[in-house]
Amino acid sequence: MLLQTVIDAVRDAVLVLDASGRIEMWNRCSEVLHGRDGSELRGKPVQVLFPVDDPTVPPIEALLAEARAKSVVEAERWQLRKDGSRFATHLTVRFAPREEGSPERYVTVSRDLTERRRANDQRFQEDTKFRALVENARDYAIFMLDTTGHVASWNEGAQRIKGYTAREIVGQHFSKFYSEEESRSGKCERVLQIALAEGRFEEEGWRVRKDGTRFWAHVVIAPLRDDQGQHIGFSKITRDLTERRAAELDRLDLARAQEALRLRDEFLSVASHELRTPLVALQLQLESLDLQHDSLEPKLGAKISRARRNATRLADLIATLLDVSRIAEGRLTLNVRRVDLGELVREVVDRLEESAALAKNIVVVSGATQLHAFCDPLRMGQVVSNLLANAFKYAAGAAVDVHLERSDNIAVLTVEDRGPGIPEHQLERIFDRFERAASVRNYPGMGLGLYVAREIVVAHGGSIRARNRDGGGTAVEIRLPIMKDTTQ
Amino acid sequence: MSPAQRVLVVDDDNEIRETMVELLTDEGYEAVGASDGYEALAQLRDPADRWGLVLLDLMMPNMDGRAFRAEQLLDPVIAPIPVVILSAMTDVAAAAEELGVAAHMTKPASLRDLVQVVRRYCTTTD
Repeated sequence: MLLQTVIDAVRDAVLVLDASGRIEMWNRCSEVLHGRDGSELRGKPVQVLFPVDDPTVPPIEALLAEARAKSVVEAERWQLRKDGSRFATHLTVRFAPREEGSPERYVTVSRDLTERRRANDQRFQEDTKFRALVENARDYAIFMLDTTGHVASWNEGAQRIKGYTAREIVGQHFSKFYSEEESRSGKCERVLQIALAEGRFEEEGWRVRKDGTRFWAHVVIAPLRDDQGQHIGFSKITRDLTERRAAELDRLDLARAQEALRLRDEFLSVASHELRTPLVALQLQLESLDLQHDSLEPKLGAKISRARRNATRLADLIATLLDVSRIAEGRLTLNVRRVDLGELVREVVDRLEESAALAKNIVVVSGATQLHAFCDPLRMGQVVSNLLANAFKYAAGAAVDVHLERSDNIAVLTVEDRGPGIPEHQLERIFDRFERAASVRNYPGMGLGLYVAREIVVAHGGSIRARNRDGGGTAVEIRLPIMKDTTQ
Repeated sequence: MSPAQRVLVVDDDNEIRETMVELLTDEGYEAVGASDGYEALAQLRDPADRWGLVLLDLMMPNMDGRAFRAEQLLDPVIAPIPVVILSAMTDVAAAAEELGVAAHMTKPASLRDLVQVVRRYCTTTD
């Protein structure tokens, strides 16, 4: 009883263990510190008071063995309360060898370091305002680790970002914040070594929340020293940059996609310019030969005409590519003047007479014969020509109607064919770049004619749309504003 | 018969320049090539030559068509020589107006159009 009275008077937790490490005797302070009453201590293996989930700390058995060899050992150890929370202790283990009438035993004395650590904390956060700032910081996890990397303090931001309450995490090793793979690779130890050696460790990387989800963290770890320069732990500041990183990645993706498009357009521009230059020389030479048609053998003359026709086709294709590249770079310029659309339509139809005959199409022009509007005659001629070429391609062997009329201040030009029509869901898309309703295999071409037509019409402030005719075939309708004639 | 007035073809692309010189020669004109503005100025300033027309490309390295035209207009001896712009640029009409040249053609011009223009300013050797 005297012994009990004596040890109860000690303000540290005192336990007497039998040779196998079971608790034989305890003092009042032990009950308080460990949060257990006597019945929860008696006969229990001392291991229940120590966390076992931390591979970086040797188990208590090792300390007992060491004490048996050296008679006494001291160490800093986290210990468990009954509710699972942890507290830091300075632990002394003394071995009492067998004496007469008394078997061998261990005596452990645990001094609670919570107060001392708090004092240390306070030394670094003397300003209470600063302390409040740290505790209430929501966007930053600001906390302390002890020298071996166990969480010693916790703030609001840390709880918000990592998901643990202070009670759950204080005393646990900070490897809990890393993926299993990383903590197994010894990353945590390396990080602390670097912080200690270089005064600072900083990185961005994936960390793990309590619920197992990952977040992209910016982490700064710095060593903490007391007044005497003694290393007492680490400060760790973690920010959750997951959203910022995602936004950055989105921006990068977008920039990459835009760059790819820009490179394509640039290539298109350079390639079509480069293709055209030798073609100009070729066309001039072929034309020169063709002009001597009469003095040539008939067979040779026919071959030259054919070569010239194909050079023209090639030139037209390249001109289309150049137009697309101009449109992409916003360089489509219009030379607008007062134009008779009726005359313009007749001119284009005349020019395409040969193509129409080849495709066995008959072009019927109807409606207004004279309708003045302000536009670029070359470009609008190109639009009409593209629409007719399309009709010849997809609706060969039937009539094509071109109708021009005025509706208020709008000139309405319609080109109708009697071809297979366009599936409803593609009616909108056929004016997009490289888009076409028919399969690539069955019909030649780059799928750019309607795109260029739309861009030209839109540049004039007009609109273009396609619909299927009741009796079959496609009707493309252009609506062009008739601007006021300011010259009159 | 007075000596023929020569055509100066200014274009940096060898094939286009040589083709135009060759075809204009075939048509009976005295045509000479220059590959940039500097060469063109040097040719025009040669007092032994009589120039009837300059066919001018706009986009060229070293001295381009615009710079050439500006230099030409500063030199009273060669300033009156008519210039026709031949360019692949879409706004060749606007450029022609800006540079105050006699006429403009869009590349690829046809041989027929080319000869028609040259005929207006130069006599043939025949």
